[in-house]
Formats: sequence, C-alpha cells, structure tokens
Amino acid sequence: MKTNVEEINRNIYDIKNKDDYDFKIKKGLTREIIEEISKQKNDPEWMKEIRLNALEVYNSLELPTWGPDLSELDMNEIATYVRPKSKLNSSWEDVPEEIKNTFDKLGIPDAEKSSLAGVGAQYDSEVVYHSIKEDLIKQGVIYTDMETAVREYPEIVKNHFMKCVPVNDHKFVALHAAVWSGGSFVYVPKGVKVDIPLQSYFRLNSPESGQFEHTLIIVDEEASLHFIEGCSAPKYNKVNLHAGCVELYVKDNAYLRYSTIENWSKNMLNLNTKKAIVGKNAGMDWVSGSFGSKISMLYPMSILNGEGAKTEFTGISFAGGGQDLDNGFKVVHNAKNTSSVVNAKSISKNGGKCTYRSLVRINENAKNSKCSVSCESLMLDDISISDTIPTADVKTDEVEFSHEAKIGKISDQTIFYLMSRGLSEEDAKAMIVRGFAYPISKELPVEYAVEMNNLINLELEGAIG
Amino acid sequence: MIKLNETPLRTARNFNINNIKIEDIEFPENIKKFNNANLYLESSKDKAEFLKHDTTLTYGLSETFYKQVTNNSNYELKIDINSKMKNSITLDFNFDENNTNLVENIYIHAMENTKSNIAIKYKTPENLKCFHNGIIKIKAEKNSEVNIIFVNFLNTNSNNFLSIENEILEDAKINSTIIDMGGKNSISNYYSNIVGNRADNKLNTIYLGKENQIFDLNYIAELKGEKSNVNFEIQGALKDNSKKHFKGTINFKRGAKKATGNENEACMLLSNTARSLSLPMLLCSEEDVEGNHSTSSGKIGDKELFYIMSRGFDEKSAMKLIVRAKFNKILETIKLQELKNEILYDIDKRLD
Repeated sequence: MKTNVEEINRNIYDIKNKDDYDFKIKKGLTREIIEEISKQKNDPEWMKEIRLNALEVYNSLELPTWGPDLSELDMNEIATYVRPKSKLNSSWEDVPEEIKNTFDKLGIPDAEKSSLAGVGAQYDSEVVYHSIKEDLIKQGVIYTDMETAVREYPEIVKNHFMKCVPVNDHKFVALHAAVWSGGSFVYVPKGVKVDIPLQSYFRLNSPESGQFEHTLIIVDEEASLHFIEGCSAPKYNKVNLHAGCVELYVKDNAYLRYSTIENWSKNMLNLNTKKAIVGKNAGMDWVSGSFGSKISMLYPMSILNGEGAKTEFTGISFAGGGQDLDNGFKVVHNAKNTSSVVNAKSISKNGGKCTYRSLVRINENAKNSKCSVSCESLMLDDISISDTIPTADVKTDEVEFSHEAKIGKISDQTIFYLMSRGLSEEDAKAMIVRGFAYPISKELPVEYAVEMNNLINLELEGAIG
Repeated sequence: MIKLNETPLRTARNFNINNIKIEDIEFPENIKKFNNANLYLESSKDKAEFLKHDTTLTYGLSETFYKQVTNNSNYELKIDINSKMKNSITLDFNFDENNTNLVENIYIHAMENTKSNIAIKYKTPENLKCFHNGIIKIKAEKNSEVNIIFVNFLNTNSNNFLSIENEILEDAKINSTIIDMGGKNSISNYYSNIVGNRADNKLNTIYLGKENQIFDLNYIAELKGEKSNVNFEIQGALKDNSKKHFKGTINFKRGAKKATGNENEACMLLSNTARSLSLPMLLCSEEDVEGNHSTSSGKIGDKELFYIMSRGFDEKSAMKLIVRAKFNKILETIKLQELKNEILYDIDKRLD
C-alpha cells in the first residue's frame, strides 16, 4: 500500500520572513526598469550598456520550444530587483537579526566555522555577508560579491563577464544579463591550492520576485578550488523565478570542483545557466543535487578547449508531486585527448517528473577523446514520469563514446532480501534509495552529504511504503 | 529546404536532431504507374489485392510525404495473411528508365494465429536518379507472427523515404529487419504501436554509409500492453563524408506493467570526416517496467585490426571482416539465402 502526502514539511527551508525590503523595483521588464536597476546598483556605463543590449536580445528571442511548459511565467508579475534592508557585511553580528536568523537556521555560520574557507550569503537581490580566511587573502585569493568585483576589478570582469555564456545563448541568459544582481566573484591565483571549500548561499525571501545572481570564478594556471553553491526559498502561492548564471574559467593544469545542493521552494522556476571553459590538462568536476523547484531547466556545460582537459559530472534529481525537473549535462570536446565521464541519476515519486537531457559533442579536432555516460532512473510509483533524452554528436572517428541508461523500479527481490534481514518495507526502500544516491553524496564534503541525505529522507516521508 | 522526420519529443534546437533539413528534393509530378514490381505469394490462402488503403499515420515523415502517398501513389497493395507460411512472400521493386519513381501504399494484415515471412526489396541501376516514397502499414492480429525485411539497395543519386507503422495485438509478434544501404538521403520513420498484452516487436537495422550519404532513422515504439516487449538493435558503419542521425524512442505508457524495452545502437566510424548523431530516448510513465538503452560510436579498435592483420590479412580485408562480424548477429537472422548473399555482396562492394 502506498501512502501519498501532498505537501511535506520542508521545515527550515520554508521559514518565511516578512517581505521587508529597502527597495523593490516595480514588476515587469522594460527599458526604464533596467535603467532603474542600473542606477540603483551604481553600474559603470559599460555594465549599463551590457544590460540594455541584453534586454533587446531578450525581446528578440523565443521561449524554448522544448522541455517543461513555461506558460505560467509572466515577467509582468515578477520584480527583478529587491534590495534587502542590509548592506554588505563582513561580520554576522552586523547582519540584521531576522536575516541572520534565517542563515543561522540554514546552518551557514556554523558550516563557516567548521568546514569552509569563505562564505558569501545573498538575501533576495543583494549579498549581505561575505568573508574569507586571512591566509587565503595573503595568497592573493579574491572572494567577494560581484558588485565589488565590478568596481574593484573592472578589467578582469570586463574580459570574462558574459564571455563564457554569451548573452544570446538563450532567452533566460539574456534576461539574466539585463537584470543580474548579486552573486560571487572568485579569483584563485596561479599555483594556489585552496584546500577548504568556499561556499555561496542564495536565499530568496521576497514573493513574486526573481533572483539573478552572477557567479564568476577564475581558477588560474595550476591552481585548485572547491566551490559550493546552496540555494533555497520559502514557498509562496505565485511563481518565483531564478535565472542565475555561473561562468567558470579553469585555466591550464588547474582544477575546479563545483558542488550544488539546490533546494528551491516548489513554486520556483529554476532556469539557471552554468558553463565552464576548461584549459589544457585542467579538470572540471560538477557535483549536483537537485531537490527543489516547481520547474527546473538546468544543464551545466563543460567546454573542453585545452588538450588533455577532463570533466566529470555526478548528479541526482529528485522530483516529487507537482515538480518537473528537466536537468542534465552538456559537454563539448574541442581538443585532443580530452575526456568526460557523466553519472546522472534521478528519482521520481508522487507524480513528479524527472527528465535527463544532455548533449555530448565531440568535434573534428578532438582526436583520441573519450566520453562515457551512464544514467539511471528510479520510479517510486506508477503515477510519476521519468524521461531520458540524451543527444550525442560525434564528428570524428578517433574517439571512444559510450552511453547507457536504464529505467525501472526498486526490485522486489532486493526489498525481500532486506526485509528478511529484519528491516521494515519502508526502511528497506529508503535504504535502497539512499544507496542509489550514494555515488553522488560520497562526492560531497561530509556535512553536505549529511544535508543531502536529510533532504532525501525528507522527500521520502510518505512517498513510499 | 524541407524539414521532416520530427522526433516525438523535442529537445534543444541547437542539438540539431529534432528533425532533418534537406535541400534540393524534387518531388516528381505526373507519376506513371510503377510497372516493374515482382510479387511472389507462397500460399493460395493468402490474398493480395492491388487496392488503396488508409494511409493515416501516427507519426510519419511529414505532411508533404504523407499527402503524396495518399493522393498520388503509383503502386498499391493490400496483403491478407491467412496461413502459416514456411517460405516467404517476396516483393521486388526494380527501378529502371521507365520506372524511376515509386510512391507506394502497402497494407499487410496478418490474421489471428498466422505466421508470415515477407521480404521487400528496392533496387536501382547504378547512376539512374530515382525517387522512392512509401507508406507500409502492418497489423498483426492476436497470436500472429510477422517476419519482415526491408532492403534498400538504391544508388547514391536517388532518394529514399519510407514510413512504416505497426499495430501489434495480444500475443502477436512483428520481427522487422531494415537493411539501409542506399540513397543520397535515406530517411525512414518506423513506429510500433504495441497495444496487446505480451505483444512483441523486434527491429534489427544495418546501415552502411559512403560518400555524402545521409541516413536519418527515426524509430518509435509505444508500449501499452502488459508484459509487452520491444527490442531495437541498430548496427552501422560510416565511410567518407557520410552522416547518420539515429533517433530511437521507447515510450512506456501507463498501464504497460512488466513491459520491457531495450535499445542498442552502435556506429563504427570508418573515416575522420564521417558524422554520427544519436538520440536514444527512454520515456516512462509506468513504474513496473524495465528499460535500457546504450549507444556507442568510435573507430575500429587498433588491437582488433592488428590481430586480424597478424593472421595474414591486409588492412582493408581486416576492416571488412570486422564490419561483417559486427553485422553478423543481424545477418544471421535473414532466412532467404539468396537475399542474404546479395546483401553480403553489397556490403563488400560498399566497403571497397
């Protein structure tokens, strides 16, 4: 017998603060609104031009003709900029009580003390807290909010901003470039190894609004970094929109691991774009856990431009009732001896829909490249949907490309085996699901693996049995 | 330019696989009756009538191709299978200077408890520019078995367009084989509506591309019956500048409990300018099913080549042996020895 629970208690993630802000732009998307955002943010002229140009591109592009139905998104009902009642602080003591309490409950300051080398915390459209350990500053590591980067490192930003992800990539990238606000900037100088991760956490509190943070990370030659991104929001009745953009530059012989635990509320449209350009003999690893959002369209991308570049994607999506998570990965092999490994998993339950959508493109110049893709989908009931839509485009013969996928339910035999060892059916199924997700959780630092397991437990409550 | 052979579900436009765009297609007008088709029917119990039949398709190549067959077909055939055959029905379309265009409408109806073997072959002389657009519909009634092979031996100046649609009822089986060799463009749409409980569909395909040939294979199976099964096995090789788009969709519909679906596609790239594009989709709205797919692309392994060459073969012969070996699993299932020899000869010639 299956017990279905319509709404599960997302406890800490659903804490709603009063919609109290310093400034909220009127809803809609017009030239005047973009100019006002630019004015509010004290943009330099070149950034204002990027925004206005992006608005034109946005207006010229169509909505995607594929994937989830986005018809409920009405930009006239979304406020694209909400400035919280807080300036940027470098001490949690200076962050206003209510905002600080939210981040406390999400465990960010605790994680900062125990396991992080730096933290950025964004509330609605602005970063309210940013800090980095002294020794990293001494080594020349820069970790700050994007606005500070635009002001203090204009040349670096000009050379990299919307260059990895071009403004005309798709409609929501253009939207992002027009209204972006907040996000993090990281620069790791040549040869510096950042052993402890940095984390940015994005919290959207304001209803009928959007978050459009921009993350720009440059890991210079022979340097390395692990960056963690977390996101959540309380649930409201009308849609919220997240259209962030992540641009990653991994230079020759460098290494970057980008981990995400995404737990947006289930009224969120998560239309995020993430792309990395990977240099010679460099490595780019993505670890991704996707739990929240009403609709998600998220396909991180690695462009392997340097000879011997490597990338690995390890991801899981977990869709419950009313969720349509259209996630996946894209990789372009653009140089000799490049390699990619993709391991994607998805779980659908209570009528949720998971889609794995991907692209592997191996160009003519990518001789001796290798790519291996594996995706597995688990269905926990007969009202859910799970689709696998992988595209492979191989343009040269000297490659090894393989893709395999399987879809199915939890095997009765495995449940029977575990039950014969004394577990209840519910515990047996939960154990199998956690085991299914293990290849992803083992890639995360232990605190985050625990958070991911908690999220899985939370999602499983009432879903099986 | 025309767009055709749309996938049942779209993906991102810049992946270039939702459909195929073809330039310079000339649709022949005022088509004369096709007079060089040889039909051999084994049993007098089975009935062949040269009649038009409903051409409605669930998917198909496009409205234009559908309309051409509906309004201007130059060969119509309806076959009723009433027996359990030992040998085969053969239908050979031999293009020649007086028969350069074939637009056919074929319907095969396999009655309950029957078994049939059918071979349909399309062949053009070298260099003669020909055009083929066909719709073939097959209905397999309860507990019937249809074994059917389609062989495309068109030359590389000609164009090949084919839509196949199956309806498979309870305990019925359709085992299809497609040998796709010819055509400047060879565009095929294959759809199986697997409605019956325990209904079964197997599709084996071999394609072999050379010069600037383009193959666009859009295979779709919808599993609706309990314990139904589908199996796609696609083996191909691409030489020179040839291109292949493979779009394979296995769709488990709600209610198809204990259904199974497997799809395996392997493409051997025999040149560094050949291109292989694949989209093997698994769509699933039913929990209690088992679905698997796998695809692979790459060149022939150096170790395999070296091993065979160390046994005294030159490189080309070794390459031919390996390609033949990969195709062999499918070739072995072809029961008509003469046709099999013809296919083997053609593979050999194309690999030269």
